[in-house]
Amino acid sequence: MHLAGIIFAKHFMTEGPAPARVMPAVARRDFIRLAGATAAGFLALGATPDRMRIVATLTALSLEDDLTRRSMTEAATTRLGGLIAGLRQRGWVEGVNYRFEIRSSFGGPDKLKTAVQELIDLKPDVILTGSTGETAAVLAATKTIPIVFATSNDPVGNGFVESLAHPGGNVTGFTSSTPEMGGKWLQLIREAVPDIARVGVLFNPATTPGAGRFYLDSLEQEAAASGVRVILAPVGNSAEVDDAISRFSAPPKAAMISLVDSFLVVNRQTIIAAAAKYRVPMIYPFHYFMDAGGLMSYGPTLEVRSADYVDLILRGTKAGDLPVQSPRKYELLINRTVAKTLGLTIPFTLLARADEIRE
Amino acid sequence: MNGQVDQGDLRTPPGKLFRKYLYSIVALAFAALAINTAFDVWFSYREQKQLLAATQREQAASAAIQIGQFIGQIENQVRWFARLPPELSTNEDERLNAIRLLRLSPAIAEITELDAQGHEQVRVSRRVADRIGSKADFSGSPAFRGANESRAYYGPVYFFGDTEPFMTLATRAAGQHANVVVAEVNLRFIWDLVAGIRVGNTGKAYVVDRMGVLIAHPDLWPALQRSDLSAHPDVRAALDGVGPPSGGLVKEDFSGQRVLSTYATVPSLGWLVFVELPLSEAYAPIYASIGRSTFLLIVLLAFAALVSLWLSRRMTVPIQMLSQGARRIGSGDLELRLAIRTGDELEALGDQFNRMAAHLRESYATLERKVIERTSELERARDHALAEHDAAERARGVAVAANETKLRFLAVVSHELRTPLNGVMGVLQLLDDGSLSEIQRRHLATAAASGETLIALVDAILEYARLEASTEALETRDFRLDQLIETAADLMRPQAVGKGLSFDLACDGAVGTTVHGDPVRLNRILLNLIGNAIKFTPSGGISVGAAAERHDDHALIHVTVRDTGIGIAADMHERIFEDFVQADDSIARRFGGTGLGLAIARRLTRLMRGELMVESTPGVGSVFTLLVPLRLGARGVAQGVQPPPSRQLRVLLVDDDPVNCEVGEAILRRLGHQPTIARNGAAAVALAGEQPFDVILMDLHMPDMDGVEAATRIRRLPLQPMPRIIVVTADVSRSTSERLATAGITEVVSKPILISALREAIEDEPGQGAPASLLEAGALIDWHFLDDQRNLLGASQIAKLHHLLNETGEKLIADIEAAAAAGDPKQLARSAHQLGSAASALGLIRLFELCREVELTAPSMSSEACRDAARELATLREASMNALDNMLAPAQEGTATR
Repeated sequence: MHLAGIIFAKHFMTEGPAPARVMPAVARRDFIRLAGATAAGFLALGATPDRMRIVATLTALSLEDDLTRRSMTEAATTRLGGLIAGLRQRGWVEGVNYRFEIRSSFGGPDKLKTAVQELIDLKPDVILTGSTGETAAVLAATKTIPIVFATSNDPVGNGFVESLAHPGGNVTGFTSSTPEMGGKWLQLIREAVPDIARVGVLFNPATTPGAGRFYLDSLEQEAAASGVRVILAPVGNSAEVDDAISRFSAPPKAAMISLVDSFLVVNRQTIIAAAAKYRVPMIYPFHYFMDAGGLMSYGPTLEVRSADYVDLILRGTKAGDLPVQSPRKYELLINRTVAKTLGLTIPFTLLARADEIRE
Repeated sequence: MNGQVDQGDLRTPPGKLFRKYLYSIVALAFAALAINTAFDVWFSYREQKQLLAATQREQAASAAIQIGQFIGQIENQVRWFARLPPELSTNEDERLNAIRLLRLSPAIAEITELDAQGHEQVRVSRRVADRIGSKADFSGSPAFRGANESRAYYGPVYFFGDTEPFMTLATRAAGQHANVVVAEVNLRFIWDLVAGIRVGNTGKAYVVDRMGVLIAHPDLWPALQRSDLSAHPDVRAALDGVGPPSGGLVKEDFSGQRVLSTYATVPSLGWLVFVELPLSEAYAPIYASIGRSTFLLIVLLAFAALVSLWLSRRMTVPIQMLSQGARRIGSGDLELRLAIRTGDELEALGDQFNRMAAHLRESYATLERKVIERTSELERARDHALAEHDAAERARGVAVAANETKLRFLAVVSHELRTPLNGVMGVLQLLDDGSLSEIQRRHLATAAASGETLIALVDAILEYARLEASTEALETRDFRLDQLIETAADLMRPQAVGKGLSFDLACDGAVGTTVHGDPVRLNRILLNLIGNAIKFTPSGGISVGAAAERHDDHALIHVTVRDTGIGIAADMHERIFEDFVQADDSIARRFGGTGLGLAIARRLTRLMRGELMVESTPGVGSVFTLLVPLRLGARGVAQGVQPPPSRQLRVLLVDDDPVNCEVGEAILRRLGHQPTIARNGAAAVALAGEQPFDVILMDLHMPDMDGVEAATRIRRLPLQPMPRIIVVTADVSRSTSERLATAGITEVVSKPILISALREAIEDEPGQGAPASLLEAGALIDWHFLDDQRNLLGASQIAKLHHLLNETGEKLIADIEAAAAAGDPKQLARSAHQLGSAASALGLIRLFELCREVELTAPSMSSEACRDAARELATLREASMNALDNMLAPAQEGTATR
């Protein structure tokens, strides 16, 4: 049985880039449980026993943030949890054949620089970055260590990759929302709050793609079609968030859109607290905001995807050969409790569309 | 198995037969198994391959159906949406059904409803803001046209965001003015389906669209890269509508792995679902099957080898046992019983072997019994023969002893007679000084004749004794045979004529030749034969015939003496050649004679390797035939029978006996020589030094110095010329001859001195008639005699005699010394006689001679001479015994006969 397991595992390992497939994945999990942290497991997992792989990640979140906090049961609901679980499905067990290193760029540009340098010094096998800012910083520091970015709205535009199908260089990753999503967010928030006259767009120009312009075209087009005035609410730091949101509490009736921006994710508690405080309905691009008490969010589903690429890279595939993936599924989350608090009635069309309705 | 005991004995390394059987059976088994396995594997391989290809086709078809169903489901949903009556949406948001549809089908990213004219009524999207009633004109779009033309339109695959495969699906509701619903389907949702298709353990299925572009692959990467596979030959062939090969296609996949590939077409979409299984896995069952077959083959081979081993052993062991048994029976082990229990012909053969061995055993037993019987018979016969032989030996011993006694007696008698006769004859010869009266002269003549006869008798006895003792040897030289015969005839003729008988001599021409032989002995034989003829023929005549047959290097002399005498009875023909025998006792009385003549003649003839025979009829006459082979002489010898006295010689006569001196001197003067007398050795030496002598006649036994020593001293004198030394002695013993030979004295004249003998001796040139009979100087033992004795008696008898001689010799020497010390000459003589007798038995010739001398001379010896003689005997005995020991020691080891 044990021997068979080893043979199976080895065979599987030599097979090259293997996707997540139901049966082998289950078999692998079973096997991993069986092998545990033994040397036999070591060999069986196909990793060279003399070298512990290093998977490094750079996040804009504070290491105190819930999203970076490690728990015993790694859930796939966070990006980090999804990665760890996905890698485990693919035969990579933390502490057995790879080491997981996380650094935070939280705290300003100096912090980012230090964190990047620390990661480079580790000589990791692959570096995962959270967003465009970190990706650019790491990419500036190394042209050899493979980089996988978790979200990048416009990698071609940012100059990270040559094309989505054939990135080239040492970087690949996943795009998030397309530019048309600006109009979609506006439509969705209008359905929840039909009588708005203006819409506030919250973003940090330093961390949002195209300093916010990436989504604004479609948003402004939709606003024009629906007779809503678009008011930009850029923020430079967390202290400005409260003030920026407060401006939309007073009439004329307003709602807000939170753009895809790592800064906003980092400061999501502040934003949601301010939105609740000033009773401003706001739509967010990620479900993280919902966990923090947001009204509704619409965006690409966080599928377990980065684990695939980390696995392939750890097995020797060049990052530049891996296409940049676009999102496949989008999900709409609505918190009816928050909606009631805001005095909103969520219409059928929205409820029919919602993937998850929280009470 | 069988015959444990025998088998243990017979176990040998497997032989050729065993190997032959073993190899044959193994080869047969191997061939059968290998062919069987090969066919089995081959057919199994083919079947498996076909089966595999069929299975894979099934899988491909199944996958194609699944994909078809997936798309078909979406189509159905879109169709359902298209068929909804417009009234359903009037009271509500127009988008609601579309939103429901999106919720129902995640693969649909966007859905648009066009009216019959192609104007957009509703658009609901996941990505962009929904739109209602935009009236945008899509009538020219392929989707609208396609849906109008047929019930369902499947657009080409396109990629959104470079990486996301999408397809446009349009359908049109039934009815005249039915709406057209266009759905953008995200084909990435097929990936989950494709990834879920199980192809073996490691096989893959992937989907290619109608253009050959990869739209779904279990591995993210190739699908995301918008790979165009239309250049691949198999994809190209499939797109061109060529059906998949029935046995599947073997090719290399993206990762370079060799795979077994087949495909199926998705109905209505025209997509191709390729199913690929790595060969390593696909053929694994085949390889496993081959492995099982091979393993089974090896196991069966091993088993076959074991069975072959067992079979070969079973077949060869009995044969080996038979072979071994035959060998052992052949080498004489008849007790062997083969125990072969194979229950077949081999067992029968083994039984035959056993029966054969049993028969042989019985035959041998019978044979052995007979051999034992015969052996015991032979042993008895041998014992008997040995007993007889012993008796014969004893008888022979007695006879030999008797003979010896006779010879000794004869020798003593003749010796004792000689000495006084010497004196008598000498004096008789001297008496005739020319002054005698007629009567005196006649008396003197009678006396002389009687003396001559007596001497002749004594000589004959002595000669016979010597012949009998084998001490006589031939003295050979070249001579004219005819002269010899004629001389003998002339010598005897007067006698015959005087008796009134006729005497004829007839000589063959071949007789006139020179031969090499002993003329003296031959002459003696002839004289004897003629004398006998004259003696025993009262009337008639004598005829002598001589002939010679010449051969290569010798001539066979053939002499016949024929008479008309009294004849000899037939029973006496052989006896007359025995000693002291005459044809009739009365004959002796009538004719006289010793009865030794013929015995001597025959012995001399035999000595010459000739034969003497007689034919006779009593009252008619006798014919004696003499056959003697003689070597042809080198040259003719002109030998005068009576050579005239040549010249006067100065002769020194040395003798201590005054009578002999006187006789000798007289004879010498009669012969016309000039004698000088020396009465002892010293005087002789002195005289020889003072005046020159031509010849010295030396007596051997002298009181002061014996003849040999005197001769030696004379030889040392610086004389010119050196006189010839002739020894005069009555001692004819061999020891004396040897002493003389040692001293270089070759000429001997025997006592009593006869004028003729003396004349012959003096006047003969030296160097002629050297006594060839002398043994080698210093020889103590007569080897020839000893060899003869040994041949006759056998080595053991000789050894016994040797031992006996050793014992008695010591005792006798002691007796002799005692007798000498006591001054008892008689006892000395008796003991010397005994010692001599004993010594003669083993051929100790010098000891024998000395004993006889002592025996003969003892009575006259002084006591001191007796002691000297005793010492001499003791010394000689010791030397002789040593020589005998030395000689017999090697001889006893085996071979030496000389």
